[in-house]
Amino acid sequence: MDLPLLSALFMLFALTMYVVLDGFDLGVGALLLAQRDERVRNRMVDAIAPTWDGNETWLIMAGITLFAGFPVAYGILLPAFYIPVIVMLLSLGLRGVSFEFRHNSTTSRRRWDAVFAGGSLVAGLAQGVIVGGLIRGVNVDRNAFAGSPFDTFSPFCILTAVTVVAGYATLGVGWLRLKGEDATRAFARTHERWIPLAFLVLTIITVLIAARVQPKLIAAWRDHRAALSFCLFAFTVCALGIAWLAGRNDVDDHVGFALALAMMLSGMMALGLSFFPNVVPFRISLWNAASNTASLGFVLIGALVATPVVLTYTGFAYWVFHGKTPAEGWY
Amino acid sequence: MAELDPLILARIQFAFTVSFHIIFPTISIGLALFLVIVEGMWLKTGDLVYRQIYRFWLNIFAMSFAIGVVTGIVLSFEFGLTFSRFSQIAGSVIGPLIAYEVLTSFFLEAGFLGIMLFGEGRVGPKLHFFATCMVALGTVLSSAWIMSANSWMQTPDGVAWEHGRLVVTDWWRVVVNPSWPVRLPHMLLAAYLSAAFLVSGVSAWYLLRRRETAFARRTLSIGMAGACILIALQVFVGDHVGSTLVKYQPAKLQAAEGWWDKQTPSPMPYLWIVVPDQSGQRNLFQMGTPYFGSIWLTKSLTGTMPGLRNIPVNRQPRMVLVFYSFKLMLVIGMAMFTVAVISLWLRWHGRLYSARWFLRTLVVMAPSGVVATLGGWYTAEIGRQPWVIQGMMRTAEALSPVPAATLLSTLIAFVCAYSVFFLAFLIFTLRLIRRGPEGLPAHALPSGSLKRDLRPEIAGVQPYLAGAQD
Repeated sequence: MDLPLLSALFMLFALTMYVVLDGFDLGVGALLLAQRDERVRNRMVDAIAPTWDGNETWLIMAGITLFAGFPVAYGILLPAFYIPVIVMLLSLGLRGVSFEFRHNSTTSRRRWDAVFAGGSLVAGLAQGVIVGGLIRGVNVDRNAFAGSPFDTFSPFCILTAVTVVAGYATLGVGWLRLKGEDATRAFARTHERWIPLAFLVLTIITVLIAARVQPKLIAAWRDHRAALSFCLFAFTVCALGIAWLAGRNDVDDHVGFALALAMMLSGMMALGLSFFPNVVPFRISLWNAASNTASLGFVLIGALVATPVVLTYTGFAYWVFHGKTPAEGWY
Repeated sequence: MAELDPLILARIQFAFTVSFHIIFPTISIGLALFLVIVEGMWLKTGDLVYRQIYRFWLNIFAMSFAIGVVTGIVLSFEFGLTFSRFSQIAGSVIGPLIAYEVLTSFFLEAGFLGIMLFGEGRVGPKLHFFATCMVALGTVLSSAWIMSANSWMQTPDGVAWEHGRLVVTDWWRVVVNPSWPVRLPHMLLAAYLSAAFLVSGVSAWYLLRRRETAFARRTLSIGMAGACILIALQVFVGDHVGSTLVKYQPAKLQAAEGWWDKQTPSPMPYLWIVVPDQSGQRNLFQMGTPYFGSIWLTKSLTGTMPGLRNIPVNRQPRMVLVFYSFKLMLVIGMAMFTVAVISLWLRWHGRLYSARWFLRTLVVMAPSGVVATLGGWYTAEIGRQPWVIQGMMRTAEALSPVPAATLLSTLIAFVCAYSVFFLAFLIFTLRLIRRGPEGLPAHALPSGSLKRDLRPEIAGVQPYLAGAQD
């Protein structure tokens, strides 16, 4: 069995879980900036409060799978993205503690909401900067990062950063429409009209520029022409679908969120195919960076046994809080 | 900027972020068990005081848990950020242990935490109790894996070198490495003791002000009962941790006890104050209790032990740091022991809730467990230096290729952000304590969650409680 490939697939799975799950959390967080009414902001935070912690855990899972399964790549990529990773971690930290602190404060809640929204927004931007840096490639010399921590910053990464935030906001409005009632749901529907379209346009621009920034992408795209065309098609259809559904009241609120999920999944799949089989993009393949069989096997057995259990009780936790977020909060 | 040493900066950054982090898991591991006990008692007896205790501490637990989570994520990436060479060489050993921690513990905690915090109106009391138990179990499993990873760095086993990297030859020997079986209970007991003294200290504060008497007496009773049992176990386990050091990390023990001599004098005093001169390999000043060193460390009247000069200079830790970190932990541990014994005596005489001098001591002791835990961790980590993996890899070889200036600016960013976390945690916790379990507002404000209104008479007693209340 190809253990490095399986480990890479598990890592991609964890990363995708993170992007779609914490994606809507971060999207909702960033959207707090656009909401002046504190009562609606309370509903928005309540819509993600019971499950955000589990969602964020997928990021640790992805990061630690990289550490355990591909230590060479982990040791190159983290110094390479030193600055955006630390900005992301601090922003996620500010976002995370704001859940509790805004909840415990009455007089300074506005301020904590600003921290919450800022943390969510900057975390998304930092992740987008990393995506841009991965596309541009990393300077490697004998299995060590050989560039400067500022290499990752370029005009292109501004584009990817905004694109990622637009993606998270697309998920966020979908989730808010699903969980919200009245003012919250109306707010979500207003923004559903344009955010998915902005995400679509930004993605297309990113793809076009990416091909110039990183010529090696074109070869990868040729190899997976059919799959990538399908991804792009699904992505476009879903974006248009959400914007169209935003104006209609006779469709189940689940549909919009499902389309946003599909959009994100096709985006992740396209990104994964573009980088395959590299784990340090265009420099080191996943087989060259992998741990030995003893370690990969140990991790994969754990993942194989634990993941179904994890998904079961995570699903249960979501089920406990299913339906609309109660207007009086979680009581 | 040229003279800044990236190694020192990387170590300070890691030390700062990891020390800050451990404060919060220590509190939440301990409080999780405490919450299991009080919710269990509440379900069993239906006594509303237990419910009040649960609700009150749940809020503080939630805050410390959140800070623990977000500062913990930093660590999972910091291995690579600041010590990328270590990550590349030891990643296939340490990485899987942490992967198991994520799979068996982080998801468990996160999955059930939402139900624990927000689910009381959505699930039945038994399921809610189950969620609390799962969160507490998660904290124990998490400790087990991370202590395994850290203990492996102290007493590495079950690995071999292959092309300049460490590969695992026997997972059992990696996970159950020689120091893990004693260091895990040592850390868990430390966390439970921290919570016991924290809740006791807060209750003592209420009793001194003659407030929340029923709540405070019950909490103090549980807290001090726990402290008595835990400190007795901790003395025993701590002694075993010391024995492991004799065998595997003698340098750490020698530095912690302050001895340089190849062989200490007989009978050996127990040193409390030393002024070590690392370059001269001697103490400029030392003070101790005669005979006590032999009695304690060798269990005889005349026994001696080897000192730090037995270790080559380039393999020695800095004695002054190790010595005082260890003494900090030790002195607090002895204070805890004394307080526990006194509490038994006072309880026997029915004065546990009224002896004001004792209550005042408890208020001072409220953060003692956390401080002692930090002291213990500094002993363990500084005492292992100059190694990152004892005897296998030096910390200096572990460093990332990140410029010193970048390290310095991120260190400042961490200090700023964590100061905000800490201040906010302190302010909100002290405010919750000042308001008290009775005084907490029922939060008629729009965003209520079950954590907020602690007054059962206002919140409306849940249907399943109505019977128990009679």
